[in-house]
Amino acid sequence: MRTVLLASLRTHTRRYGAALLAVVIGSAFIVVTAALSSSMREGLTAGLGQPYDGADAVVDSPSAADAARLLDAARTDGADAWLIGWTMQQVASGTAGETSVIDTDIGQLPDRPDRRWQELVEGRFPGGPGEAVVDSNTAKVERIGVGDRLRIGTGSDALDVAVVGLVDSPSTYAYASVYLLWPELVRWQDQLFVTSLAWAGPDAGTAIRAVVPDADVVAVDAFVQDLHQQVNNGVDIVQVVVLLFGAIALVVGILVINNTFTILFAQRMRDFALLRCVGATRRQVLRSVRLESLALGVLAAVLGVLAGLGAGHGLVALVRSQWPEARLGTAHVAPAWLAGAAGVAVVVTVVAAWLPTRRAVRVSPLAALRPDDSTRVRTRSGRIRLALGGLAVGVGVLALAAAVATANVGALAVGGTAVFVGVLLFGPVLVPALIRAAGPLTQRLLGPAGRLAAGNAVRNPRRTAATTASLLVGVTLTTAVLAGMASSRAALAADMDEQHPIDLAVTGTGPLPAETLDRLEAIDGVAAAVPVPGAVARIGDLDPLPLLPATVDGDAKVLYGDLPVPGPDQVLVPWDLVGDGLEVGDLVPVTVGDTTRELRVAGGEGWGEAALVRRTTLDRLAPGAPTQAVWLRAAEDADPEDLAGSVEAVAAPVDAGVENGLARRAYVDTQLDVLTGGVVGLLAIAVVIALVGIGNTLGLSVLERGREHALLRALGLTRRQVRRMLAAEAVLLSVVATVLGTVLGVAFAWTAVRALVQPAVHGAGLVLPWGQLALVVTISALAGLLAAVLPSRRAARITPAAGLSLD
Amino acid sequence: MTSLLAASARGLTKSFGRGDTLVHALRGVDLDLPAGRFTAIMGPSGSGKSTLMHCLAGLDQPTTGSVQVAGQALEGMDDDALTRFRRDHVGFVFQAFNLLPMLSAEQNIWLPTELSGLAARDRGRQLQQRFAGIVETLGLTARLGHRPAELSGGQQQRVAIARALLSAPAIVFADEPTGNLDSASSAEVLSLLRQSVRELGQTVVMVTHETEAARYADDVVVLADGQVTERREVAA
Ligand SMILES: Nc1ncnc2c1ncn2[C@@H]1O[C@H](COP(=O)(O)OP(=O)(O)OP(=O)(O)O)[C@@H](O)[C@H]1O
Ligand SMILES: [Mg+2]
Repeated sequence: MRTVLLASLRTHTRRYGAALLAVVIGSAFIVVTAALSSSMREGLTAGLGQPYDGADAVVDSPSAADAARLLDAARTDGADAWLIGWTMQQVASGTAGETSVIDTDIGQLPDRPDRRWQELVEGRFPGGPGEAVVDSNTAKVERIGVGDRLRIGTGSDALDVAVVGLVDSPSTYAYASVYLLWPELVRWQDQLFVTSLAWAGPDAGTAIRAVVPDADVVAVDAFVQDLHQQVNNGVDIVQVVVLLFGAIALVVGILVINNTFTILFAQRMRDFALLRCVGATRRQVLRSVRLESLALGVLAAVLGVLAGLGAGHGLVALVRSQWPEARLGTAHVAPAWLAGAAGVAVVVTVVAAWLPTRRAVRVSPLAALRPDDSTRVRTRSGRIRLALGGLAVGVGVLALAAAVATANVGALAVGGTAVFVGVLLFGPVLVPALIRAAGPLTQRLLGPAGRLAAGNAVRNPRRTAATTASLLVGVTLTTAVLAGMASSRAALAADMDEQHPIDLAVTGTGPLPAETLDRLEAIDGVAAAVPVPGAVARIGDLDPLPLLPATVDGDAKVLYGDLPVPGPDQVLVPWDLVGDGLEVGDLVPVTVGDTTRELRVAGGEGWGEAALVRRTTLDRLAPGAPTQAVWLRAAEDADPEDLAGSVEAVAAPVDAGVENGLARRAYVDTQLDVLTGGVVGLLAIAVVIALVGIGNTLGLSVLERGREHALLRALGLTRRQVRRMLAAEAVLLSVVATVLGTVLGVAFAWTAVRALVQPAVHGAGLVLPWGQLALVVTISALAGLLAAVLPSRRAARITPAAGLSLD
Repeated sequence: MTSLLAASARGLTKSFGRGDTLVHALRGVDLDLPAGRFTAIMGPSGSGKSTLMHCLAGLDQPTTGSVQVAGQALEGMDDDALTRFRRDHVGFVFQAFNLLPMLSAEQNIWLPTELSGLAARDRGRQLQQRFAGIVETLGLTARLGHRPAELSGGQQQRVAIARALLSAPAIVFADEPTGNLDSASSAEVLSLLRQSVRELGQTVVMVTHETEAARYADDVVVLADGQVTERREVAA
């Protein structure tokens, strides 16, 4: 049998090409994941402890107020303290004419030079007020240089600083874009998020507890170790999520290889029978084909690991050189990962070959002597399969219904999987039926070639179903994600309208000059501008705050939703001013000029740094109030950062603050885009494998149908018609799989929205991204065409005379 | 002998491979095939019978020499033109794999008509009648809905003959049409071919190495080592 095994490996290896490719992609994906996560881990954990160098103790997550108290105490105690934390602020850079605005994090630069964990790469550290250092990556991306001036924050809190140096952060955890000394940073104490505070000085624990009795004081080593642990856990989660997609790709790979073996063994059935005729035992044949699949698996494992190492290291090197801000470390793929990826490749191949090999050896020696009937029309296997399919769909639908009723994620996953498996089991009936339904269309378009294509596509229902199944997996998941994301986006949009009712609110600290409105209106990208009257008021003990009416003439032009309307005796104060002496429900005096009214405090936000009252209340407090603010609606295609920059350029000279709802919206949009893109990108690997599978099935079928094509050519089918016939077959397969997958995906998205989004966001419904869905179908049709290119060229090249003498 | 020629070849040579594996399958064949007659091409295995037929039928290009079928020269035709030519003027019956397995017998018979772009609903009455006549003669009426795998070898060959005859081609080529059949089925198929020549005036060229089969023909051409060595009329 050795000679048989070697000879058949030699002859058939080329036909295994596509199956090999499927496994190689899958196992390479695992290695690439390992490379990326190792470099991510390295990048994230590097230098984690450095910001705490020289500290004697760390206070874990103090409140901003406690942290401020500790910093002050350290100074008077003769000890030393610095904090790791951030406040998110708008940072405007550039000249008045050309301002660029980003929302970014501002951190603390320790006072004492020897405590500064930031590494200076250019310029110097700040020596006093009005100076800042900027992270060198941020500087590169935002084109900020030493000597530039930045305006941090807006309105009355705004701070103008000069950039005196650029720094690198040794730790991604402590990293911020801009660092300020504490006396400058303290103005945003209310909006400061402190992860930890480092304390250097004798008897640290006692000294800290003397200031903040309930402080969570931790030893430095323990704290850093804990950080390492957290980062590792984070990377582990990412890794598991990514590997999940790898698993999906491998499942699709299994379908492809399984199909390849099934087809190849069907084609070699007579060889097997002949072997049996000349005296090979069933066991010998079985061992021979199993060894063949094992050899293939080992080959795939080696290629996959090599390809994965190459792609993984290449990718990491590319990202490190092109996007240093991604902060990847060097990649080390542990041997265990390589062994795992190789093992998966071998196991996947052998498992996928298991059933087909068993079927192959069941052949009786007589089969070699019978004439070839490669297309037996009906096979008996169907009934059990259909029954199982029905059962799976039934169970799945019940589970999905339960999921909708109880908002249970587990039930959703189980139900979705069961329904999907059921549909796959129905495949041999369902898919050919759909293809037959689409058949008349191809016939109309392509004439006889189209009709033959439709016939070819369904002549082996099981093969057809198996081929489409792999694509079905990818398309179903992709469209489910697309529809689910579109629905979540729509659900969030309602929420966003409430939280950020105004794209850009320019609120003056005093009355705005008349030309401000004109200048704002003239900005490219502003679709509408509405002047808002108001007056600066004293509310309780707060600093003077502009008072605006909740309704303005023409506000429908700029508002997404309605602003909350305060009651006749109510004043809405921004949430970040509530607390610390002014509580919701308090009755406070509100004074404009020498008019005072007692109003009850409520909280709210979305209209900028101002308080909101009823129109009538404002009229009573400040009759004939001048323009205090301008509310803007951005044009549909406006770039949020450009627009904010232009608006800031107008607002800054008149000391007006800008509330940028547009940027927040854009941020959420970007997050959703990135999430959708990432998931679809990862699923694309499974889709690519599936398309390789379609090309593969078609290629093998072409080999199998060599004589048929020769006969057709002899009887008058032109080369082009042969090519068209095969292309039509591939497109039929891929489009039917895609349409079925889209229907399933949308159905799953619908249940997921019912089960998960509706309980959270009232009134959320399914929103179909028609454009994206159409794109999916178009792409898969084109990919089907692409998959047909090689096989159809090979089929058309052969001359009829040569084809007829094929064996 | 009538002067009308269904096909003719002049100076036909055909070589395969090159160098060590060079094979001269045909070495200068001159041949005239008169219309309305049943010609058998005979010769030992490997003598070039199939190759000759492929060249005559436009299934393969000769290395040198010219071929004329139904008054048209085949050299210089590109693949598409050759394909269309075959579709319109030539019928085929092969030894095996004559039929498309996924089509019924009836669909197989109509296949060339369909390939030429004639939709089922546009078939003229005359064509329908011809179809009915041929099917009746060949005794296939009860088998039209069956697929090839459900037909016996003889039945499959009869379907192939029906297909070849339906479009009344200028010439029908048959390569060992009885090679896979028992003697009774062989006799049946051969008489059907002869009948089509006698009654429908069809021209048939059959490749065979069975002397028995050659008896049904009008003329016999003997090939040896790529050359015509003998040409005779069969005594009636
Ligand atoms: N595609 C090919 N490549 C190489 N040699 C070929 C090819 N086709 C035919 N031959 C060679 O050409 C010669 C004639 O072959 P052909 O098939 O015409 O013989 P034949 O008379 O039909 O034989 P048989 O009675 O066995 O069918 C043979 O020597 C054969 O080996
Ligand atoms: Mg031959």
